[in-house]
Amino acid sequence: MTTSIIATALAACVAGSNGYVAHDDSVIVLNDVTVSGQRQREFQMRSSQSTVQVSHDYLQQNFAGSLSQTLEGIPGVKAMSIGSGQSKPTIRGLGFNRMVVSEDGVKHEGQQWGDDHGLEIDQFAVDRAEVIKGPAALQYGSDAIGGVLSLYTNHVPTEPMSGSVQVFGRTNNEQVGLSAKLGGRLGKWFYRISTTLIDYADYRVPTDSIQYYSYWIRLKDGRLRNTAGCERDGNVMIGYAGYRFHTDVRISNSYSKSGFFANAHGLEVRLSDIDYDHSRRDVDLPYQWVNHLKVLSHTSWQGNGVRIDANLAWQNNHREELSEPISHGYMPTPDGTLERRFVKNTLTANIATHIDMSEHHELSVGLNSEYQRNRRSGWGFIIPDFKASSVGLFAMDKYTISESLKLNAGVRVDHANTIINSYNDWYKTPTTDGDSAYMKRSDDVNRHFTSVTWSAGINYATGHWVLKANIGKSFRTPIPKELGADGVNYHIFRYERGNADLNPEESYQMDMGIHWDNDKVFVQVDPYVNYFPNYIYLNPTAQYVEGLQLYHYTQARVLRYGVEAQVTCVINSHWETELKGEYLHARQQSGQKKGYTLPFSTPWSMEAGAKYSFKWHGNSFVGMNAHIVGAQHEIVPPESPTDGHWTLNLSAGKQISLHSYKLNIAMHAENLLNRRYYDHTSYYRLIDVPEPGRNVSIKVGLDF
Amino acid sequence: MMALITASTLSILSCGDSDCDESKDMQKPAISEQGIVANPIDCQVYHRGESILFHYLLTDDIELGSYNIEIHNNFDHHTHSTTAIDCELDAKKTPQHPWVFNRDYNIPDGLRSYEATLEIAIPTDIDTGDYHFMIRLTDKAGWQQIHSVAIKIAE
Repeated sequence: MTTSIIATALAACVAGSNGYVAHDDSVIVLNDVTVSGQRQREFQMRSSQSTVQVSHDYLQQNFAGSLSQTLEGIPGVKAMSIGSGQSKPTIRGLGFNRMVVSEDGVKHEGQQWGDDHGLEIDQFAVDRAEVIKGPAALQYGSDAIGGVLSLYTNHVPTEPMSGSVQVFGRTNNEQVGLSAKLGGRLGKWFYRISTTLIDYADYRVPTDSIQYYSYWIRLKDGRLRNTAGCERDGNVMIGYAGYRFHTDVRISNSYSKSGFFANAHGLEVRLSDIDYDHSRRDVDLPYQWVNHLKVLSHTSWQGNGVRIDANLAWQNNHREELSEPISHGYMPTPDGTLERRFVKNTLTANIATHIDMSEHHELSVGLNSEYQRNRRSGWGFIIPDFKASSVGLFAMDKYTISESLKLNAGVRVDHANTIINSYNDWYKTPTTDGDSAYMKRSDDVNRHFTSVTWSAGINYATGHWVLKANIGKSFRTPIPKELGADGVNYHIFRYERGNADLNPEESYQMDMGIHWDNDKVFVQVDPYVNYFPNYIYLNPTAQYVEGLQLYHYTQARVLRYGVEAQVTCVINSHWETELKGEYLHARQQSGQKKGYTLPFSTPWSMEAGAKYSFKWHGNSFVGMNAHIVGAQHEIVPPESPTDGHWTLNLSAGKQISLHSYKLNIAMHAENLLNRRYYDHTSYYRLIDVPEPGRNVSIKVGLDF
Repeated sequence: MMALITASTLSILSCGDSDCDESKDMQKPAISEQGIVANPIDCQVYHRGESILFHYLLTDDIELGSYNIEIHNNFDHHTHSTTAIDCELDAKKTPQHPWVFNRDYNIPDGLRSYEATLEIAIPTDIDTGDYHFMIRLTDKAGWQQIHSVAIKIAE
């Protein structure tokens, strides 16, 4: 089946490229963004890194439920499901603190280390996105190892008043949502306001029971109990856009509340007296809520041959996890339901200047600084209180030898200071001498880290080809959990011990980009090799501490390599086919897990699709694709191997113009055959929860 | 095509590092009753002041790690059960002075098979009722096996 799909897609492609008469207006439709081959090549010449631009139209037409799911169409980008129908993005298998999500140039600071924390960003406020695959430490500092997901919400309105209203829903978890935007420009001043409201019920999986620890958890109507939730977002922005001077201030607030799967909070199997099955839309214990408040200001000044940009931001991330108080081990039944609370405040100040040294030579120099403070409470301990400050200075040079040959290089120095406060249990644990004590779970730690990173790249265009190469070093400052944890992680049922001696994780990566197109066929191949001399790895040991298996943070040499490839063929003005795939290999080369892969290793995958575009009361399209994922037998404890799977998916879109209004309808149906499969990179794979069954998302939007 | 060449070249290179023929432990250890009379087993009833004679065979294909015994009450009818057997449970109740037992045990280095025996004394002053007797076992590579036994402690 899979082979025949690929064969058909390829055959269509070959037939298209050889046998078709070129139309004058022939265009390459990449990611549904209609751009000519020439423009594609120009874009490819802009950066020596593997970057993908995601336009507003793409986000509109490929709506797949959540932003990271929508971006899964890009080879190398995946949405790691973290339960509750939420997901967080990974780039080339790296997520959490090994990639950066930025909004309008400022790094988004939530609790990104956590297993079950979503994006906390209003995805409907996003105008466009850009994905950098590969190291981007020069511009973003710590964490930009796997890549960067840059979201932009700062589009300046051109009309005195314009806006849009969108209603959307998805069948699997009976999600309904509304998003409205209004913006306008009055002379040089502009404003934007938007709001998004989403409500969803428990999500469904194509099974009637889940087996975990050999225990059968029966599901009512195939629903994962208590995974319902809601999201409430609001944004206000005002700004001034002059000829040389631009400034804007944006205040955004994103609130979400979602239940945790009631039968397995974390990885522990639970039964409760709560009657979860009486409603599929309510949220009972255990659940989480997060509020992310962000005040962001961007200012730029454009002179002759010089531009200065300054970003200032304050982010307040407040997160609580509530669950039924239950005694465990030596911990008595706690008072109240507050298991964990984190309040993290982050202040960011970035300034950068771009100077045109000559017509061919552009120099950028910048300073990034960040201060954060995290305070915890609740009866469950995972991370200690901490303060972290960092400052980074960078210089980047771009040299254009000719329109077909460009060079760039840069260097950056970062200094970070992390101060961790010690933490003792609120209950006593018996000690070996027959006494008992409030066990210390985290020591006082004060560490300074210095990192020097660099990058160099080349772009070369010749005929139909664009060739790129980039080599760079990136880094990541160890997070407080990695440095200071020393206690039971009840959430995932293991004993985790930090390592206060960890050094900043370093990563060296070489990327290549090979692009070829002839306005009918578009080919993109991006291979890479990535080496970590000291990857920070949470190693499962053979030892027990207080009844739970000890996981200890260590550093190991890791080699990773992989490739993404994409072939798009425009057969005629109606038909377009596409074949894309990705492969990734990771191997630990030292330490106790030498020879093993890394956790949640991405299996190879491939997607073959065809799209038919037509005009019928406006632009319309129908597309169908088959998504094929290989088996993953490369595992580390405590994972299980995962079989391969394939799904059939359908999407359709329509645009109708009515006077000055524009009506957009987008439909996306996933897993049409309602197949039951597991995603190796899903957090819930560890407790044997299959991926959602058939799911149809529909969005209707009116632009005015 | 380019992708295939790159990928295959790289995988050949990495095999050269002797990664491929390295014998990794990819199997979980086992908590077994083979060839022995295992104890405790589901639905057994013990009395306060008696001892539980723990006896299980622990095995692994490469090398055993360590094990842990943990006993906690099941007065709230929660479950970690790893067996299909449902033992008859007493009515739910609030713990007053429940038995909490939690101890880690080493297994001598280099063993693939280990007959674990312990004598665990049941305190005389604990709450009677349903308990879970949890056996956790690791191997050297960090794989873990869990076996849970439901027992009852009577007067």
